[in-house]
Formats: sequence, C-alpha cells, structure tokens
Amino acid sequence: MSAPVPEADVVLRRVTKAFGSVVAVNDLTLEIPRGIFLSLLGPSGCGKTTTLRLIAGFEQPSEGDVFIRGQRVNLVPAYRRDFSMVFQNFALFPHMTVVNNVAFGLRMRRIPRAEREARVREALALVHLAGFEDRYPKQLSGGQQQRVALARAIVVRPTVLLLDEPLGSLDKKLREEMQVELRQLQRAIGITAVFVTHDQEEALTLSDRVAVMNGGRIEQMGTPRELYERPATDFVANFLGVSNIFEGRVIGRQDGEARVAIGPIQISVAWEPGLDAGGPVRVAVRPEKIRLGAPDEPGGLPARLRHVVYLGATTHFYLEGPDGGSLVVHVQNVSPDTALWTPGDKVSCHLEPRSVFVLRKG
Amino acid sequence: MRKVSWTLRIVTLLSLVIILGPIAIVVLVSFSPSDFFAFPPRGLSLRWFHEFFRIPSMRAAYLLSLEVALTASVLAAVLGTLAALFLARRRGAVVGLLNALFLSPLVFPTIIIGVALLLFFRRVGMPILPGLILAHALIGTPYCIRLVLTSLQAFDVSLEEAGQSLGASPVRTFFLITLPSIRPGLLSGWLFAFIVSFGELNTALFLTGPGVTTLPIEIFAYLQFQGSQLVIAAASTLQICLVIILVVTIERLVGLSSMVR
Amino acid sequence: MEWLLRFIRTRWAWALVLPPLLFFLAFFVGPLLYLFFVSLHDVSQAEMYGTRLTMENYVRIAGDPFYHFIIRRTLTAGLAVSGLSLLIGYPVALSMVRMSPSRRSLLLMVLLFPLMVSNVIRAYGWIAILGRRGVVNKVLGDVGLIQAPLPLMYSLETVVVGLLTILLPYMIICLLNALLTVDRNLEEAAQALGAGPARTFLHVTLPLSTPGIASGLLLVFLLTLSAYVTVQLLGGAQSKMLVSLVYDSVMTFVWPRAAALAFVLLAISLAITTLMLKGIRPQRVQGKG
Repeated sequence: MSAPVPEADVVLRRVTKAFGSVVAVNDLTLEIPRGIFLSLLGPSGCGKTTTLRLIAGFEQPSEGDVFIRGQRVNLVPAYRRDFSMVFQNFALFPHMTVVNNVAFGLRMRRIPRAEREARVREALALVHLAGFEDRYPKQLSGGQQQRVALARAIVVRPTVLLLDEPLGSLDKKLREEMQVELRQLQRAIGITAVFVTHDQEEALTLSDRVAVMNGGRIEQMGTPRELYERPATDFVANFLGVSNIFEGRVIGRQDGEARVAIGPIQISVAWEPGLDAGGPVRVAVRPEKIRLGAPDEPGGLPARLRHVVYLGATTHFYLEGPDGGSLVVHVQNVSPDTALWTPGDKVSCHLEPRSVFVLRKG
Repeated sequence: MRKVSWTLRIVTLLSLVIILGPIAIVVLVSFSPSDFFAFPPRGLSLRWFHEFFRIPSMRAAYLLSLEVALTASVLAAVLGTLAALFLARRRGAVVGLLNALFLSPLVFPTIIIGVALLLFFRRVGMPILPGLILAHALIGTPYCIRLVLTSLQAFDVSLEEAGQSLGASPVRTFFLITLPSIRPGLLSGWLFAFIVSFGELNTALFLTGPGVTTLPIEIFAYLQFQGSQLVIAAASTLQICLVIILVVTIERLVGLSSMVR
Repeated sequence: MEWLLRFIRTRWAWALVLPPLLFFLAFFVGPLLYLFFVSLHDVSQAEMYGTRLTMENYVRIAGDPFYHFIIRRTLTAGLAVSGLSLLIGYPVALSMVRMSPSRRSLLLMVLLFPLMVSNVIRAYGWIAILGRRGVVNKVLGDVGLIQAPLPLMYSLETVVVGLLTILLPYMIICLLNALLTVDRNLEEAAQALGAGPARTFLHVTLPLSTPGIASGLLLVFLLTLSAYVTVQLLGGAQSKMLVSLVYDSVMTFVWPRAAALAFVLLAISLAITTLMLKGIRPQRVQGKG
C-alpha cells in the first residue's frame, strides 16, 4: 500500500479498535489535511475519544494503521509521537508553577534554557496570561487553567494538536469566549487541530471540517454547511439540528433533478443514484426552511397547529402533518405580527425548494 | 433524644478511659522517683530514663529496634509502592487475588508467620538480623500499599498522559509527575511501617536471639522474669512519645482519616 | 515482531508487581507451605522433624481433651472480646458519626495512637493497674477497704478485659467506616415516613452498618487468636490459650507439633471468617448477592 498523501498531517487507514467484545472504532478511515480544524462530533460512546487517543498513541489499534506526517506510527509510543493534547480536566501538574507546567514539554525536548524561557513567555502572551508565571494551578480559575493547558500544548509546536472536550467543564459564557480564543489561536499559528465534542453547536462554531461519528464509524465528514444543509443520513440529519422527514415517491427525472411527490405537493431534489422513477424516497427539510401560509394558499402541505413556543428571537411551531406525522417549523420574529397563529389553526407549509435533501439510512 | 445522646457521650468517654488509661498509667509510672510504684505518685523524676540508657541490654535493644524499623520500613515502602502502582491500574480476577495476598498479613495471625519464618530461616540458614528485617518488611508492606493506593486513587491518570503527550517517557513521568503527587501517601506508609516494626512482637518473639533483641521483646522479658522494674516504664514512655510524634506527622501529611477508609 | 512489542507494551505493568510478588512468595507463602510440610512429619529428637510422613500430630490434637479444652477457652475468649467490643464500640462509633468532621478527625487520631503502641506496653499498663502492687490494690488498700491485695491478675477475665481495651479501637474504626457510608438521606426518608429515632436506627441504620459489624467482629476475633504476649502477661500459666501452646511447642523445639498447632489455629481463623461472612452476609447491604 503506498504512503498517504503528504499534505495530510494525520491519516487513519481502516483502523479498528476493540476493547474485549466492545468495538469502539470500526474500520475507520480518516485523512486530516494540514492546518485544518477538525471536530469529531457524536454522542457518547460513538468512538470519538477513542479515535483521538489512537492518534495520540494512548491506545493501539487492533487493526489498521495510523500515520503522522506520512510516517506509520503504530509502534511508536505516545511520548515519542509529535503531538500535544489538551485534556477536559486540564491535567495541569499541581506541584508545578504555571511556568514549569508550560515549559515541561520543552524540557523533555531538551530545548536550552534561554530559548525555553522565550518560548514560554511567548505562549503565555498568546493566551493572555502574561504575569501568571509563578502561580500554582490551584490558584487559578477554570478558564485560566484551561489557557495554561493550551499554552503548554502549543509551546512545543507539535504537528497536531489534540483536544478532548477541553471546554466541557467551563460554564456557558466562558465556554463561548474560549471557543473564539481557541479558533483565533489555531488560525494564528496554523496548526492542525483535532477537537472532540458532543456539542453540535460547538463543532459548527469552531471547525473547518466536522466528522460526525456514530457506532465507531464516520457517518459523514464535511464543512459545517455541507453537514447541516446536506446531511447524508438520518443520524447526521438529526444530530445536527432538527429535521422534518417525509416519505415521498419519485415521479420523474429531469436534467440533474428528480421530481418527488409528497402528499399533494411536488418538489425537486438533486438527483443521485438510487432514485428510480416510481420508487420511494425519504426526504427531509430543516424547520427554518419552511414558511407557514394561509390554509388555502396553493403549493403547500396542509397541517394543523398543535403547539407554539415563543423563544424571543424565534418562534417554534409544532404541527400535525397530512398523514398524522409531526412537523416542526422555526420562524424568525422579524416583526410584531409575524406568526400570529394559535393552536388549532389550519395552515399550509411551504418548503423552500432548494433546501430539501434526500436521506439515506445511516 | 437528649438522654440518648448523653448516654452515647458517657459511653464514648468511658471507652476512651479504658483504652487510654493503661497507657497513661505507664507514662505516669515512668516518672516515679521511688523504687516501687506509688499511687498517687510522690513527685516526678527522670531517674528511670537515666537508668534505661545506662543498661547496655536496653540500649542495644533500643538501637536494634531503630535499625530494624528503619531498614524494614524502607523495604516495605519500596515493595508497597510497586504493588500499589500495579493494583491501581489493573483489574481482573488475578489482580483481585494479588490484592488479597498482599493485604493478608494485616489479618493473618502474625504468630503463625513468626513460626513459619523461624522454621524456614533455620532451614535456609538465614542470619537473625536480616531475617527479622525481612519479617517486619512483610508485615509493614500492606500498610504501605493501603496508604499509597489511597494517594494513587486520588491521583488523576490524565496527568500521566499529559506528561507523555509532552514527551516524557514512562519512567520520567513516574519520577517527575506521579511520585510528587503520591509523596504524602508514600511518606505516611513508610512512617507507619516504621512504627509497626518498632512495636512488633509476634514475629520478633521467634526471630530474635541471644544478643539480638528488639525493645518490645526486651520489655516482655523483663516483665516475665524480673517483675515490675520501673525501667520498663521509661522504655515504654519513650516508645509512646515516638508514636505520638509519628501519628501527628502522618496526620499533617495525609490526614489520618483518609487512611482509615 | 510487532505482536511481541505490543504484548510487552500492554503487559509492562506486570514487571512492577514482580518484586513484591516474589517477596511474598518467598517469605510468606513459601514458609507457610514449609510449615505445613513439617506438620505432616513425626517428631524427632535430633533433627527438626522426623522422616515419616504422618497425620499423627493432627490426630493427637483432635483426640486430646486437653487441646479441646484450650480451644474452647480460646473461642470463648474470642467471642467475649469481639462481642463486648461490638457492644461498647457501636455507641462510640454512632456518636462519632454525628460529630463535626474536625472533632471526628481528632478523636480518630486519639484512637489510632494506642493501636501503634506496642501490645506489651499496653498489657504492662494493665499489670500496673491490676497487679498486686498496682493502682487498684494500692488505692483500695490505702483507703482501708481491703486487708490483702486482690488477685485480679492471671485469670481469663483479666485477659478478656486487656484484649478488649487493646482491640476496641479496631472495632470502632470498622463501625465508623460503615456508618459514614450510610446516606443521611435514608435516615431522613425514614423519618419522613413516620419512623422515630429508635425505629430509624433499628430498621435503617443498623442493617446498613452490617458490613462494618462483620468486618469489626472478624478483625477483633482474629487478632484475639494471635495475641500471645497479652495472654501470657495477663493470664499467666492458668489461662493459656491456643497461641500459648504454639509458643510453648516452639520453645521446646517440638517443631512438628508446633506446626500442627499453628495450622489448627489457622483453620479456626478460616472457619470463623467463613462463618462470619456467610452468616452476616454483608454483601446484601453492599448491593450484591
């Protein structure tokens, strides 16, 4: 098998990891291009942390190969791989000051003292912690500790930066601030970063690419927009946001599009292999891509309003569709008289034509 | 309800009296100025302490106890730390068995250990002093394991992974990161093993010999064959002081309450 | 080759345990096996043990009413000491649970300290109290209540009292540990359902403390079996126990018999342990079994 493309800093090829009878990572292939911020996103137990630890070398693959900068590292122990890691609970050495924590990796690499001190100062400045050199971790707040952990990880200038749900133990406001800082930092130094999270909003905020994982496999990998607007499977569609799912029938094909009938209406979706005329198809549309109109307005699905939730910036409508299924519609409250329907009303649901996507089973 | 809590308090007080009373009496006796025990005591004197240091066999026994305790406790600390490191990281049936094995000297009748070692050492020709040290190391190791394990269980494994992610080999990780964190447990375990060895009787009964006695055995011999010489009280008070100092030190290091769980 | 490296990587921890394991095998398991081996031989005048393999040492012990008597006395003492320590220790543990953590820590230190004072010293304390010229007799004599000193020493009762006070802290600590794990909410839930303090204690606290009771009884009993010096000093020749017989056999160089007696002691310990664990079934409380 030829070596992987050199532009990809990290490659996992057909990697499987089993713990006894539990398969945590199942025949996974992943190529991470240089300089990319990639999030591994998924529910707990999907294998995202295991994948991270396989890259780090804290776990060995049961099958398959791991490459870092083109070099196969299966047999290379963690402490000799060129990466650094930020842990969820910070993992700052409690018996060392901030400066000794940050300098630790440089000490291990036998960087001479003068250069060491300069780089530590630089790293602490980057995370806005200049002046905290002689404090001990227990004297710092959660956000400060996380920034020390970050400084410690980037000061060694690794090939890849691994982050294991690093913002999980911070409160919401701090987490959002840190997300911005983290992203800016990564862009400034241009490092490849792999970020594990179960929070889809976080993944979408931070990443150049997102890999949604489930049951030890990658369901779909792409830019945040691709994943949200064109989810490939049920799982991805439902993990990133909400979607309304319809059973339809393909009635025709025309240029690159397939014509699908859903109840009384017809819409066009991009054609893909497997959509045969006459065959069934599952399509979905996001709740903000549906417009509610008067019940007699043509071109929409008839529905009955069950429940309204007012959320300030948006209003969420829960409706019962033509075949008894439920629909969710999100509307921006752009003006005071937007969305004046009340439960019990009959309305028509108009799907934004270019935003309907085909679903494959995961 | 109040009656109950008063009863509890009285029982607690009485218990403390019967537990600590005998020890207090010994300390009191050791300061007695006269040849025999008088109660109430007629003044305080350090005469018996001087006497203790004057008698060669007592001095020798004291020094030997110190020597044995020091060596045995260091050995126990090393063995105990290795065992604790293993037990903290591994699971499984075999590990459970090993756990039971390593902790069994705590409940195993030490008198039987003494007899078994006596026979065994005779058979292999083990000289007395090393034999005694080995026996005390055996008995002290479970204490070290318990205390180091407690420290290790509070220790966050991700600290070691952080060290490795920064390039520290497993050995360097242990010395630079793990060891400083478990130092309190390690030190307490060592001190505990020291104290246990210093006061140990059941194996010393069999494993000491002519010219090679520990202080407790010397005290026991005096009590059996020479009646109530008050010099023993002085010897006892010395050990009691040692224990107090060490207990307070351990409390400062780890907080004794954590050890007991 | 790669397989080998991976094997070593995952199994390196076993290298850690090798020194202590070898030590224990060499100086604990090995000698005990050798002791058992010796117990299966006949007695010899010249050597440590004879050349014949035999069960006669055990048979003799099993058949001799003297040994039965001593064993009965040993078991009685064990039961008395552990039972009494439970009765006295439980209220102490209860009051400690309700204390503030700092006071509790202090009291714990006070309780741990005597455990580290050598048993010979603690027995000596009782000699100083109960002996012919001890505190009790001195005080009673000076006050004029008695003419001649009371013979308070050298009886089974003296031994029991001595062992009780020496081992009481162990019981208290075991009980305390168990009681501390009883969730306060459970007691409050019981009270919310109408149980007064006595019923709450009986139906909630006490049953949940069973693991502590079991471990405490076991620990105290086993330590009683092994307590030679205390028995010898406080009981004298009149109140010998099984452990005294072991010592005597060793001192008269009758190795096979000493070995057999030691294993009888061990067998009794194991039997008591099994009985205790089966009977009180602490696992039930811990959520298993």
